[in-house]
Amino acid sequence: MLHSKTFVKKTRGGKVNKQVREHYLRDDIYCGAPICKLCDSSAARLSPSASTILLLDTNVVLNQIDLLENPAIDDVVMLSVVLDEVKNKNMGVYNRVRALCSNSLRRFFVFANEHHKDTFVKEMAKESKNDRNDRAIRVAAQWYQSHLGGAARILLITNDKENKRKAIAEGISAETIESYVKSLDRPDLLDLVVQPSSEDVEMEEVEDLRPSKRKVIYTEHKPMSEITSGLHRGIYHQGKLRVNRYNPFEAYVGSESIGDEIIIYGRTNMNRAFDGDIVAVELLPQDQWHEEKSLSIADEEDEEEDVHLVPSSADDAPRTTNLVQGCSGDTNAVSSRPSGCVVGIIKRNWHSYCGSLEPMPLPAGSGGTAHALFVSKDRRIPKIRIHTRQLENLLDKRIIVAVDSWDRLSRYPSGHYVRTIGEIGDRDTESEVVLIENDINSRPFSSQVLACLPPLPWSVSSEDLANPVRQDLRDLRVFSVDPPGCKDIDDALHCTALPSGNFEVGVHIADVTNFVHPGSPLDDEASQRGTSVYLVERRIDMLPKPLTEDICSLRSDVERLAFSVIWEMTPEADIISTRYTKSVIKSCAALSYIEAQARMDDSRLMDPLTTDLRNMNVLAKKMRSRRIERGALTLASAEVKFQIDTETHDPLDIGMYQIREANQMVEEFMLAANVSVADKILKHFSLCSLLRRHPSPTREMLEPLLRTAAAVGLNLDVSSSKALAESLDRAVGDDPYFNKLIRILATRCMTQAVYFCSGDLSPPEYHHYGLAAPLYTHFTSPIRRYADVIVHRLLSASLGIYKLPSIFQDRSQLTSIADNLNYRHRNAQMASRASVELHTLIYFRKRPTDTEARVVKIRSNGFIVFVPKYVF
Amino acid sequence: MEFVSPEGLRLDGRRPMEMRQIRAEIGAVAKADGSAVFEMGNTKVIAAVYGPREVQNRTQQINDQALVRCEYSMANFSTGDRMRKPKGDRRSTEISLVIRQTMEACILTHLMPRSQIDIFVQVLQADGGTRSACINAATLALADAGIPMRDLVTSCSSGYLNSTPLLDLNYVEDSAGGPDVTVGFLPKVDKVTLLQMDSKLPIDIFENVMQLAIEGCKAIANYIREIMLENTKQLEYRRGI
Amino acid sequence: MVGLSLGEEHFIQGGIAQDLRSDGRKRLTYRPIYVETGVIPQANGSARVMLGKTDVVSSVKAELGKPSSLQPDKGKVAIHVDCSTTAAPMFEGRGGEELSTELSVALQHCLLGAKSGAGAGIDLSSLIVVEGKICWDLYIDCLVVCLDGNLLDALGAAIKAALSNTGIPRVHVAAGALGDEQPEVDISEEEFLQFDTSDIPVIVTLTKVGRHYIVDATSEEESQMSSAVSISVNRKGHICGLIKRGGAGLDPGIILDMMSVVKHVSEQLINKLDSEIAASEAGAEES
Repeated sequence: MLHSKTFVKKTRGGKVNKQVREHYLRDDIYCGAPICKLCDSSAARLSPSASTILLLDTNVVLNQIDLLENPAIDDVVMLSVVLDEVKNKNMGVYNRVRALCSNSLRRFFVFANEHHKDTFVKEMAKESKNDRNDRAIRVAAQWYQSHLGGAARILLITNDKENKRKAIAEGISAETIESYVKSLDRPDLLDLVVQPSSEDVEMEEVEDLRPSKRKVIYTEHKPMSEITSGLHRGIYHQGKLRVNRYNPFEAYVGSESIGDEIIIYGRTNMNRAFDGDIVAVELLPQDQWHEEKSLSIADEEDEEEDVHLVPSSADDAPRTTNLVQGCSGDTNAVSSRPSGCVVGIIKRNWHSYCGSLEPMPLPAGSGGTAHALFVSKDRRIPKIRIHTRQLENLLDKRIIVAVDSWDRLSRYPSGHYVRTIGEIGDRDTESEVVLIENDINSRPFSSQVLACLPPLPWSVSSEDLANPVRQDLRDLRVFSVDPPGCKDIDDALHCTALPSGNFEVGVHIADVTNFVHPGSPLDDEASQRGTSVYLVERRIDMLPKPLTEDICSLRSDVERLAFSVIWEMTPEADIISTRYTKSVIKSCAALSYIEAQARMDDSRLMDPLTTDLRNMNVLAKKMRSRRIERGALTLASAEVKFQIDTETHDPLDIGMYQIREANQMVEEFMLAANVSVADKILKHFSLCSLLRRHPSPTREMLEPLLRTAAAVGLNLDVSSSKALAESLDRAVGDDPYFNKLIRILATRCMTQAVYFCSGDLSPPEYHHYGLAAPLYTHFTSPIRRYADVIVHRLLSASLGIYKLPSIFQDRSQLTSIADNLNYRHRNAQMASRASVELHTLIYFRKRPTDTEARVVKIRSNGFIVFVPKYVF
Repeated sequence: MEFVSPEGLRLDGRRPMEMRQIRAEIGAVAKADGSAVFEMGNTKVIAAVYGPREVQNRTQQINDQALVRCEYSMANFSTGDRMRKPKGDRRSTEISLVIRQTMEACILTHLMPRSQIDIFVQVLQADGGTRSACINAATLALADAGIPMRDLVTSCSSGYLNSTPLLDLNYVEDSAGGPDVTVGFLPKVDKVTLLQMDSKLPIDIFENVMQLAIEGCKAIANYIREIMLENTKQLEYRRGI
Repeated sequence: MVGLSLGEEHFIQGGIAQDLRSDGRKRLTYRPIYVETGVIPQANGSARVMLGKTDVVSSVKAELGKPSSLQPDKGKVAIHVDCSTTAAPMFEGRGGEELSTELSVALQHCLLGAKSGAGAGIDLSSLIVVEGKICWDLYIDCLVVCLDGNLLDALGAAIKAALSNTGIPRVHVAAGALGDEQPEVDISEEEFLQFDTSDIPVIVTLTKVGRHYIVDATSEEESQMSSAVSISVNRKGHICGLIKRGGAGLDPGIILDMMSVVKHVSEQLINKLDSEIAASEAGAEES
């Protein structure tokens, strides 16, 4: 049956358009209850023994999503009218609801009430949209009641008093969410229930000991229409709010309408905006503009993490801009930055935060609701007020809290507790906090993912050998060199001396794409994870262990599938020819760096393997010197190695990671392989290749380095990477650590290398500054990086042995994949560093130590030192 | 943007394999030799046929067959935004050409040499699938005018969104940017006379989508036959049979 | 247009002289009128009028625009007629343009009055939103689907019906707009403005064939006309516009005579139209 839906929409051009849409009503929509005799119950999701079936109101879904995700709430019918409203208001909650509905373990059923001929509700004259939707919900509840007879009780959950009253009047049982949860008799669930914001008004201010005199602390946000008109007229400016990590009361809004960043000082001016929100800012009158505090300059420069993002990336770290020459003619060195205050929030960026509760005295008598202040680990987030029944339990725990609202009368935002992670200070808890903060998925692989793996024990089969595409290279003397105790070996090398005097050198990479097929759950999961994360005590894999440590890993003395890059080189390491092929190899030795180095150094050993190693080393040295000629940078990073007690997993000793010749040899060939592959895939797929670039650092970014160097009388030439490399080489002082320190400082000024889709940028922008290479990609570690999996697929397709999945034809999707990989890579790095920091703290917690240090930076409130022994 | 919900319903409540509501009426324009109104959902099209009659332009006269001319125009108010130039723009010219070629293939033109058959199609409301509606309306109008044809030509469009083949796209689904396949089909002899496609589609999926459109054409052909049968009964009734 | 033999011509002229036309009507009788409103749901208002075989569709679309600086307190209305090729093969391509333009101009004269906006049949000041800045622009588009004489009358009736069917959404203006900038407008989805169409005039065309004049000529009768006068009259009996077509000259006395006939006929026509429109609107409400 056809019905027409008419509504009026206003287009951007200011025109008013009347839109007419068809709206078909059906009679083949089923109710989803298996107890129902009338409907086809093949699609039924509700449980057959359900005593109560819940119907939820939109606001309940929007506000109580954390409660709904708890398995105690089940047998819920989601109406399509509610789903549509949720989708329009909050995409994040909508996605979570959809995940719940498609989760086969939870009994949530989606009922398309808008298209069912009995439950469709036509708009009455003078009825607002909300009223009409509420009426639709009530009609659907009534239909369910009559449809199921008395087999189950239908309960409408709504916090809207009007709706509840009307529902009861029409004969539908209705309750508020609180009373329902209370009836379930589960006190822990009550914590998850979010209180409506009207109750906030009656709450006491925990900090303010004066009796709650409700005073308006923040100015009201302007309505959206005023903001839009203000933006048009240029009195308001839009931008993303970035809170200063070291001073949470200071924030910046990068705005395009002013070339500069607007500073927001103080909580009042920030007006309830969070870090990451898109806000509208009004500039304060010029006489109120704060002068650049020297504190803030120092804060900006001293980014402890070297996470300077590419200038064109979406979220820029605050950087000093040189545009602040506003006070021309002012001989005052300190100039003022435009300051402003937030007048409205265009888009909220609220999610869940890790942290713990502020210590407070327990309320007299247990079992009551207490109001506590939650302090997030991320200093940029203000304290959040929650109330809980289990205060004593939570005081020493790390918990996760989600934010609900922040009204004008309350100093802090209100939120609710989501779950506990563990005890404060406990190593596992803190590690988990690190993971959560960096959005790293450490859950075990689902059964669907594991189902994609081939059955164990796995070995190279006769079909693999008979495959004409695969070359049989088992007779080559292939070996691998990796860190000690490494089980996921993804690269192996061989070097054969040819009769002509040239060398045949091969890099063999684990053939991961043979097992990970596009579109499979395994591939989707790996694509989401993006990379393996290396924490101090454990590794969070991108692919399941059977693949990483056995089936794909190029262990010694077993036949394995590989993807090979084979060069013919002269003794001067000039590449004469390159070929790529899939192969079967059998590694004869899995050496560690120390072993390989020892073999090469021991002049008594003359066996073929050692000869190969030495030949490779010679070639590698030549390749390296050529690279440095071209301007490759060797920067020192403060990499720390921990020795972990095998039992307690506590750090036993900290030492520096030593770089040996063997490391550099392997690195050199890996780089060469990456460059060759980049060349090949770009030739075939100039618009959809996944490459890696390193943008050159700008003058501004190198400012801190130049200034510090100048302070010790050192002049660094930063005109090109080669010049910088040579300057760094020449920077030697009396102190043996001086050079290392300068290199570490230089590393901190660099931009980050990022993945990108070749179709998005022009060839000159493909340049990799650090390696001084015009083209680069990642090919050599598909076991731990998803980018390499993509490049493997591209390379196979360029060889003509593989059909590229259709996702490569969609450039916007490729770009979003590249963005996700960059995001995950960044997070993995930050998590690694945080884990190192954590273990360092744990190590020193028990062993206070006195040691030598170097002063690196002086701030107005302290100074930063460098400890050579522990290298940080 | 979700065009097919996880429950299997499209934006307007249809299932992916379902067409919109069709309505047809014969004899809307009294003065024309044959005319018909064809509605597919919210798309409404009037077709009028004038002919066979004497060729107006002697130079275009063909000595052994009839000359078929076609013009497609959209009313000012047919689309959401008011159009300024109803005729003569490139899209109208292209569609006129397409309709002409399709109808020409199935009219027995050799039976009417040195004459002219004019098919005029006017779109009153456009909501996706105008091309198909025009061809269907033209078929009915030609039948109403009593012009001999090989077979009825029916046409239907289909597309591929959210990894599902969809039959009979409306305007919202059409403007989503996904592929759009229009098929013109002769049901009795089982042959395809018109095939047009926008955007990209892998070959194996294309076959599914085209097959779906052909099924749609067959369903429309059944409906058209019913309408014509009904119409003939009415005519007989009026003549007192 | 129409090919008539000599005998047919005499027949028609004779019939008119005897007050018995080819289809049995008297000289001053209209063909049955059939009105259907709301045929184009995408437009703000629409109507289809069938006057015998003559079939016209008209639609009203409203858009926000800026009022003209000469009349800042009035909205704007534009009337446009399009002759569809389905009506006659000769309208193909640019063929129908001449007739379309003639009809458009004639309608504008009759319904909208002079350029200064005075004496318009439609009340333009009800279209204003913010004086001097925002007003509604009404675009009235008519489409001639089938042609059998007496187009102007049919078009006038269609426009009147369409306007009575028109609902313009109510608009709220955001406060705080300064100077000469465009204030923001919010469209309310529920409330609509209905037009008051009681003052809109209808057009009556009198065609002179031989020595008598007839009302509502078919295209065959029109082919025999010597001249025709179209007068638009409103409910109060005031004349809103007058157009004379055709080559032959008319005695001024006859024109005055025509006008009194028109006054008489127009009352019946207006009543008939109103009842038809009301009936069709009521029908639309029920369904």
